[in-house]
Amino acid sequence: MILGKPLNEDMNLRPIKYQWAYDLYNQAVANTWFPHEIALGEDLDDWRKMTEDEKGAVSFLMSFFNPGELIVNRTLALGVYPYLKAPEAHLYLAKQMWEEANHCVAFEYVLETFPLDKEKIFAQHLEIPSIKAKEDFIAKFLNRMNDTSLDIESIEGKREFVRNLVAYNIVMEGTWFYSGFMVALSFRQKQKLKNFGSMIDWVVRDESLHLKFGINLILTILEENPELATSEFAEEIKNIIIDGVNLETAYNRDMFPRGILGINADYVNQYVEYIADRRLEELGFEPHFKTVNPAQWMATETDTLELVNFFEAQNTKYEVDNRAHK
Amino acid sequence: MHKKITLYGGEIQEIPVSNLENKLITVGKKTNLSEDKIKTIAAEAFATLYENMPESEVDQALMQSSAQHIKDDPEYDKLAAGLFLESIYREALGVDSSHADFTEIYQKTWKEELKKGIENGWLSPNLETFDLDALVNIINPERDSLFTYAGLGTLARRYLMRDDKQKLMETPQYFWLRLSMGLSWNEKNKDKIAEEFYERMSKLYYIPGGSTNVNAGALKSRLSNCFIMEMEDSVDHIGKTVSDVLKLSKATGGIGLAVTKLRASGSPISTNNTFSSGPIPFLHIIDSAIRAISRAGKKMGALCFYMENWHYDFQEYMDLKQNAGDDYRRTRTANIAVYISDEFMKRVKADDYWYLFDPRDTADLVDLYGEAFSHRYQEYCVQAESGELKVFKKIKALDQFRQIIVSLQASAHPWITFKDAINVRALNNNTGTIYGSNLCTEITLPTNKDNVAVCNLASINLVRHLKADAIAEIDWEELKKSVRLAVRQLDNLVDINEPPIEEARNFDSHNRAVGLGVMGLADLFERFDIAYDSEAAYELTDKVMEFISYQAIDESADLAKERGMYDNFPGSSWSKGLVPLDTIKILEANRKAGASNDGVAVINKSSSLDWESLRSKVKNGMRNSTLLAIAPTANIGLVAGTSTGIDPRFAQIFSRNTLGGKHMELNVNLVTKLKALGLWERAKDDILASYGDISGLDYIPEEIKVVYKDSFSVDPQAFVEVASRAQKWVDQAISRNMYLATRDIEEVMQVYIDAWDKGLKTTYYLHMKPRHSAEQSTVTVNKSTAIGKTGFGAAVSRKGFGATVIAAQAEVAELTESPVQQKETTNDYKACPIDPQERAQCDSCQ
Repeated sequence: MILGKPLNEDMNLRPIKYQWAYDLYNQAVANTWFPHEIALGEDLDDWRKMTEDEKGAVSFLMSFFNPGELIVNRTLALGVYPYLKAPEAHLYLAKQMWEEANHCVAFEYVLETFPLDKEKIFAQHLEIPSIKAKEDFIAKFLNRMNDTSLDIESIEGKREFVRNLVAYNIVMEGTWFYSGFMVALSFRQKQKLKNFGSMIDWVVRDESLHLKFGINLILTILEENPELATSEFAEEIKNIIIDGVNLETAYNRDMFPRGILGINADYVNQYVEYIADRRLEELGFEPHFKTVNPAQWMATETDTLELVNFFEAQNTKYEVDNRAHK
Repeated sequence: MHKKITLYGGEIQEIPVSNLENKLITVGKKTNLSEDKIKTIAAEAFATLYENMPESEVDQALMQSSAQHIKDDPEYDKLAAGLFLESIYREALGVDSSHADFTEIYQKTWKEELKKGIENGWLSPNLETFDLDALVNIINPERDSLFTYAGLGTLARRYLMRDDKQKLMETPQYFWLRLSMGLSWNEKNKDKIAEEFYERMSKLYYIPGGSTNVNAGALKSRLSNCFIMEMEDSVDHIGKTVSDVLKLSKATGGIGLAVTKLRASGSPISTNNTFSSGPIPFLHIIDSAIRAISRAGKKMGALCFYMENWHYDFQEYMDLKQNAGDDYRRTRTANIAVYISDEFMKRVKADDYWYLFDPRDTADLVDLYGEAFSHRYQEYCVQAESGELKVFKKIKALDQFRQIIVSLQASAHPWITFKDAINVRALNNNTGTIYGSNLCTEITLPTNKDNVAVCNLASINLVRHLKADAIAEIDWEELKKSVRLAVRQLDNLVDINEPPIEEARNFDSHNRAVGLGVMGLADLFERFDIAYDSEAAYELTDKVMEFISYQAIDESADLAKERGMYDNFPGSSWSKGLVPLDTIKILEANRKAGASNDGVAVINKSSSLDWESLRSKVKNGMRNSTLLAIAPTANIGLVAGTSTGIDPRFAQIFSRNTLGGKHMELNVNLVTKLKALGLWERAKDDILASYGDISGLDYIPEEIKVVYKDSFSVDPQAFVEVASRAQKWVDQAISRNMYLATRDIEEVMQVYIDAWDKGLKTTYYLHMKPRHSAEQSTVTVNKSTAIGKTGFGAAVSRKGFGATVIAAQAEVAELTESPVQQKETTNDYKACPIDPQERAQCDSCQ
């Protein structure tokens, strides 16, 4: 059982029971990167040429990304890590937590570099209802994990764990963040913020692994605890994901009161639905929205192998941790 | 439904979607796209409009909507390129091609813009010495349609001239004409020659290097792409080097900088009895210098350091590109290369020791090469063992080589280059030792304190020299004309060129070094239906390069008769009647002479042309000290719309990330093949999902898969063999990129040992196949079915939502088809994950 209170005998890495978790850990280590590798300052020329609406969109993105990484970190520390028994899962979570910290510092670097109104950004996530609603949504599930009466060995305790997992991993990381990444990468399609785009490339690469871990974890829990997946519980999980879409839709309408070249609120929300359908399908549901991906240009951004003109753009495809042996 | 936009004139108008459809009609007619498909593009763009959007952005939205479908059909590329051209016309000419007098306006505006450029001091008054009224008539606007969308983008962003308000002054044809005139005003018969150059370039037969494209015809002719220099072991010269690097970078040249001479860390400084901090902090200063320049120009300031691997601080040198550690001991912008001797490679093969020295103690090693280097190096080793030489490190040669390879895998650095193949095979080594190569590892020229080497480049577009587009036969007569005109153009460039520092002018005028290369080799193989890793490909490379080399050398000998030989010709190997082929034997002899083992490989030396008569012609005088060098052509390859340099296709579909943004590249040759078989519609999403690798698609015929391999599936031996056959004929070097799927250190080491064996002078980037990529967006992704699990599927189906019982993985996959994709079937390959992480969990893959 991967879920439960860790005992002393769970403190040996070997034998590895959940090889997927250990593999993900090793891949995550190889993916290590640092924000200062990106020459973000070189995007400043673009910044000066951007419209107020475009700058506003970046500012709005940062308002949620910036606290968002720390919220995920808190959720991992308080709502996930304590209830897993497998050391290989602990290794992965430790690396993921470092990555969340690294993303936080990366976005801090964005705030330092671009002439953004920092006070406004720090205040926005506390004041704008659509951002606050997203944060409250995540907090609600996490708070239940921290209720002292929660018994992780019970069916209800396990269900609580899965709800929280779906909320932060499938909804926040797997849907909300992906919608934000699409908006962030759209600037590169317009030959703008190329270095910021490289940073997002790295963040997306990390988040793709986070999502793999989350989905593997959900599948493993369901396999080990077949009694959890009643039709009522399945319906509840599906609704958490749909609720998440509604929150994101409202948020995007605030991000794009008007629209910018190539993107407006309806467009982004269509993408959110497309991604949410994908998450539903990954969990074994039928697609709910049946929406077509409007952003076919994402094929260029994320779907293909990238060949970099090395002295023109940051190569984000190298891995550290190569070894001088097999 | 109507949306409000702000028209070019400034007024606001409510427009329906049909307004956008109308904007696509003219351009759409030049494609094979159906009316429905064009309407879809209009609808997609319409959906992204916002209130009062400027019409210029509306046009851009249309272009983006077209471009995002290039992955579905190259016809969308034509649509996007057509729209791009119209936007260029509107900006540069004030009208688009629908205007009744378009051709007339196109020609007339050229003279106006030319005058404006000269009056404002942007263009050289020499351009007015041509017969402008005659030249107007050679401008052929139809040739603008030769460009792809990405090619036009590269051209417009990098090369087309803009005025002080950033408004385009040039259309593509003006650009070719500016180059043609800017590289022929020193000719007696300049109008005729300019026309000949224009005919070649505007048809994309050959294209000059980037700096020439930016600055030809300009008031200051900064035409050189490449500079090579060295840094002496003195604070004065280090200071001067920083200043020179700033000036050269500003002139948009890439720089190779040899740094082996700098004394080691801890080495005594005699003037004040202190100790040197070694080369690393000084390299950091240079790095900061190019970073400062790169902020402003059209091309990033770029530089590569060269160090020999016997330097005492070589380990620290390799750390320059690590992504962690002390920033002051790193060079984030500058690249690094290692300059390896035959002696080292022999010691690697023999698993022998390797000694590192302080160049202050072993100063003569930098200048020695080949057999002489080996001899002297071995003496120093004896001195070290006997205690005569105090400062040295002793390690296993194999260990250091392994470290180099590990670093190459992790950071793509240092590039591996071979000092002895470069020097021993040089035909111009009468003027000194070559201490390193350049930024792109294709230039190999000697330098010293008074000579900063300059090289001027152009590349032949091989696929434009087929008898017809669909015929796999080379038009040798046309190729001959192109090579000869390109050499003449490059030779003209030397006299017109104004390098920004005295040492570079000095080198340029006395050596007249040029580098003619090729692009489109992989494209050519595909037209011949041969695989990159096949004997037929090696033979074709050999034959084409022999021909180009022969014609280029012959043309330079002709030019020597017409215009005189280059100043440093006496004493050169050319003057002894040697041609590139002859130097292979010298290399082999050198390697055998000092050999600590006898495993010296034999390099291919076959030939088919009449070199004997050319040898006697060459002996009488050459116009240029060097003729050939194969550059990476990363940008001009895009402009030409062909594969870059001698690279394989990176993948059948991939994205290229450049200074100008990120864009999709689809292999049109493959699409043509698959369309002919009626397979394209079926294959396009699968090819994207498999990251441009068709090897797993069972419905594609084997004979197509053999030819259309992605770069990571090509046999690595082919990278060595293709370069080796080309290097046989090339007097300078070749930018040889490597692409490897394996991460096995021993296997990668073997590839580079083979590269040395086969006489390669240099290698360039090592591209590693990524093990893990970000989640794809536009293709079906399902991490659960990929590993054969159903999640909540069982619970849901019990309640009666989806299908009945979900047991078989194939059924799940079918159920979860996204409505966008409309896959026809789920074959075995589709069911198995691409990602190795997922493969590890997939039963059928285990």
